[in-house]
Amino acid sequence: MRRFWSRTSVALLLGGLVTIGWLTWPAPAPAARPYEGQTIRAVVNAEYVKYSLTLVEQDLYDKLGVKIETEVIPADAFVAKTLLEFNSGSSPWDLVMFGPSNMPDYGRHFEPLDPWIEKLKLDFAMDDIVPVFAKVMLRYQGKLVSMPYDGDIHIMYWNKPAFERAENKTKFKAKYKYDLQPPKTWKQWDDAAEFFHGWGWDGSQQKLFGAGASYKPSGSGYSYHWWRSRFFSYGGNYFDANMKPLVNTAAGLRALEEMVKTMPYYPPGVLLFESEEPKTMLVKGEVPLLYSWTSTGKRVGNASESVIVGKAGFGLVPGADIDGKIINRPAITPGRGMAVSKYSKKKEVTMKVLEFISNPDQSLKIVMDAKTIMDPWRVSHLRSDKFKKLFPDADKYLAAIEQSFPYLVPDPVIPAADEYQRKLSFEITEALAKRKAPKDALDSAAREWDKITERRGPDKQKAAWGEKLAEMKQLGIEYHADWAAKAK
Amino acid sequence: MRVPALQLKRKQWEPLAFASPSMALIALVIVFPLAYSFYLSFQNFDLSVGPEYEFVGAKNYTEAILRDDRFRGSVWNTAVIIAPSLVLELLLGLGIALLLSRVLRGRPIITALLVIPSMVSPVMAAMAWRMMYGVKYGAINNLGRQLGILDVYFDWFSSPLVAIMAVVLVEVWHNTPFMMLVLLAGLQSIPTELYEAAKADGASPWQRFWSITLPLLKFTMAVGIMIRLIDLTKLFGLIFVLTFGGPGGSTETVAFTTYLMGFKDFRMSYAAAMSYVIVGGVLLLTLVFLWIQRVRETRAAA
Amino acid sequence: MAIAIERSAVVARRARRHRTWQRLGHLFTYLGLFAALVFFLGPFFWIVTTSLKGNEDFFAFPPVWIPVEPSLKHYAALFTRSSGARYFMNSLVLSTLSMIAALVVSLPTAYSIARWRFGGGLLSIFLLVLRMLPAIALIIPIYIVYKMLGLTNNYLGLVVIYTVLYIPFSVWLLVGFLRDFPPEIEEAAMIDGCSRLRALVQVVVPIIAPGMAVVALFSFIATWNEFLFAIVLTGIETKTMMVLVTSFTSGGTDMFYGEASASVVLGVLPAFAVAFLLQRYLVKGLALGGTKG
Repeated sequence: MRRFWSRTSVALLLGGLVTIGWLTWPAPAPAARPYEGQTIRAVVNAEYVKYSLTLVEQDLYDKLGVKIETEVIPADAFVAKTLLEFNSGSSPWDLVMFGPSNMPDYGRHFEPLDPWIEKLKLDFAMDDIVPVFAKVMLRYQGKLVSMPYDGDIHIMYWNKPAFERAENKTKFKAKYKYDLQPPKTWKQWDDAAEFFHGWGWDGSQQKLFGAGASYKPSGSGYSYHWWRSRFFSYGGNYFDANMKPLVNTAAGLRALEEMVKTMPYYPPGVLLFESEEPKTMLVKGEVPLLYSWTSTGKRVGNASESVIVGKAGFGLVPGADIDGKIINRPAITPGRGMAVSKYSKKKEVTMKVLEFISNPDQSLKIVMDAKTIMDPWRVSHLRSDKFKKLFPDADKYLAAIEQSFPYLVPDPVIPAADEYQRKLSFEITEALAKRKAPKDALDSAAREWDKITERRGPDKQKAAWGEKLAEMKQLGIEYHADWAAKAK
Repeated sequence: MRVPALQLKRKQWEPLAFASPSMALIALVIVFPLAYSFYLSFQNFDLSVGPEYEFVGAKNYTEAILRDDRFRGSVWNTAVIIAPSLVLELLLGLGIALLLSRVLRGRPIITALLVIPSMVSPVMAAMAWRMMYGVKYGAINNLGRQLGILDVYFDWFSSPLVAIMAVVLVEVWHNTPFMMLVLLAGLQSIPTELYEAAKADGASPWQRFWSITLPLLKFTMAVGIMIRLIDLTKLFGLIFVLTFGGPGGSTETVAFTTYLMGFKDFRMSYAAAMSYVIVGGVLLLTLVFLWIQRVRETRAAA
Repeated sequence: MAIAIERSAVVARRARRHRTWQRLGHLFTYLGLFAALVFFLGPFFWIVTTSLKGNEDFFAFPPVWIPVEPSLKHYAALFTRSSGARYFMNSLVLSTLSMIAALVVSLPTAYSIARWRFGGGLLSIFLLVLRMLPAIALIIPIYIVYKMLGLTNNYLGLVVIYTVLYIPFSVWLLVGFLRDFPPEIEEAAMIDGCSRLRALVQVVVPIIAPGMAVVALFSFIATWNEFLFAIVLTGIETKTMMVLVTSFTSGGTDMFYGEASASVVLGVLPAFAVAFLLQRYLVKGLALGGTKG
């Protein structure tokens, strides 16, 4: 009898223990991969953007179980091909990269984010987005439709040893009668380009070049981005309130003429340079000056290819001296945003992916890598200790970026933005290639702009531009007819 | 040995039936789209504005021919590329064909090797040459610097003139072998007895060339030139990869500009009209060429 | 006697001079051909060696013409990161399908023309007119229609186009081959009871097999090389090698020199293969057609 009870109690005890254990043992992590096995399709406009997505794909898979299949459509065909797809009411892509200045043409094809934020409790850390980027990269007709992916602005870079060598300083002072320093005005920039061109300003016997730039009219720009900073600092603006183009005013003419005149001081091939070639020349110590996208800074600090690590300066793009005050107008150029296609069949998954790649940590990874060409766009990027220590003087680089924010000039963010920019850029390069006189080139551009406005509907364009004009006015950017003549 | 096409026993429907698959396909894929495109060229179908369109008559044509500087510029560019390319391809092709015709051993293999550039895609040729033209790391500049010919890096697309020359060089590289083949075929059809007779009469190699080879080669040369001429008007892929029309618009060809209009600006109707202007131009060119040939022949016969 | 000796001396001198000229002529010929080979094949040599430059050789000066440590890493990168394998397969599949389709459609048509003078003498004129047509005139309407039908990014849509594009030339070639042998052979087969179609397939085809091979290779390589239709009508799944090459042009070719040169090497492989396979037929068959896409 006792044996019976003792066996039963042992059995009960064991049974009890097993039951307790079964109930409380930590369950195998329930699909920490809620979207296991799913693949979404993304479309981007360059190989390095595709590369940037690979930086986060491992974490993305670990966390969500999702893979991204990325298609690259070359920049020259990107806007055309993607818009053609969207305009016909469908798209093979779920995640879409786009240039925010084309928001007026893309926006209506994107899925608004707010309903999904509510439904899936997404967190895009909106407060962490730098205000200037938030303004251009997030909304279409007031609705939140995209997240920034790449915060493109222009800052200036210079080769410090070139400006600090005693020999260079003496030579410069002798010729130009003022001290050699990183240029603050366009005149100083042009003087420096002239000065540095054609000899070894680094102490070598090599024939080096005066300054770098990108003058190919491809994608939706290059040469026009470089012209724009001068144009606006001389008081220019894209259109007046009646959609009359102002690109061929005195401000535009002066900007273009200066660029044509200084062509000899730029490296051979500059007319076909896209974004990367002048950066390569800067980091290899072949040009002492360049104003370009902020991704340049990462390449400057990349010891595996740069010879000016720790020897580069970062600052504001030059401006024009108007009545003693220097007006800087660095460009905030397309940049890149990421959005979810309205026609996607996998919206939920894509929303989660968008949240993931936009979160502060993952996006920091992307903007810190030198090979991705993506630029910082979150406040946390700019203040990140990791970033500040990424390379020598990285903190100064990040500071220069922040310093430029109050003065940025956007693209003309209205319908047909891409076409306006392309046609203008084309004419600018025609003048630079000496196929047309600057005046003819700009007049031609103005005529093309009128044609575009005509086709898209003058009233529609005027209304869209009116908003932008008001925004720019708030930032202190207005057309000044008299500046071009008196700028120094 | 050619056998005359006999009147074979046949059922009435057989010829048509045999040819019908290809006829149907051609109607579907070529005739119908061409008609549709022609129709569109008189509308103002513009995908950047919207899917609706309306009839606008010949407006697109007048705009393209009279008011579009970029299109007219591209016509000029195309001509400027065609002329030197044709001349060089003819001269170089003839020279190599002549050399080849003097070689007996290994001719097939040398011919096969020389033909390869003509068999690659113009896009591949352009990509390879684009890299070779690279300012800093390209083969041409590096070789030039290594041999001491070049002092600094030379930009092969720095000015419109140099860019055109660069394009012509790639074109000639790509298509001379084709011309060489055509001329080689022509050379081989000249009976050797003529040369023997001339040699017996004491004619020098130069005389033999001038009075036997050239005259008998005229027809082949004409065919070769005409084919190349027509092909050159369609130049697109090479430009797309090599220069994308640059610098500025100096190497934009007619096909390229039309492509930009249709697939970057979305102005489908306008691009359709442009393409018909091109077709008209090529037709005219061919007719003129054939007429010149006819005049030459009748004059020679007289 | 003296005169005879003198004359023979003169003859001997002339003969020697003639031989010298001949030898010079030979030298000149071979030199010229050598220069031609260098010019026409040099770029391939450079592209191949560039694609094998594993380290920093591409950026070196004095230039490194033959890589010190050849490596296949660019090909690996092309196949993995840039999906080169898939696009190579696409080109292969598209070219093979259009090759077969073109043959299947062209052979009966050529037969019709060769045996029954179908269409009168219109073939050559038709060929010329078709050749004059720039692809750009076709691509616009086809693109619009294909978009409506959902045929973009689709093997079928592309094969249909490629088949039709190369029908005229294939037909022309096949007519030439067909005309070269008598119709008695298939007549004999038909007397034995089989239909004309069967006779065509079982009797004629084996005989003109070389001709068909030429046509097949021509359509294959023309499709492989084709660019305009490919760039407009393909999507991520159906992109061809030609389109892949263009993705390396933005941003300058310096950054992705490895993948760019590797993609060129792969893109020209068929050209090399076809050139060697068709050595004997080059002058006859391909001279008047060309293989450009």
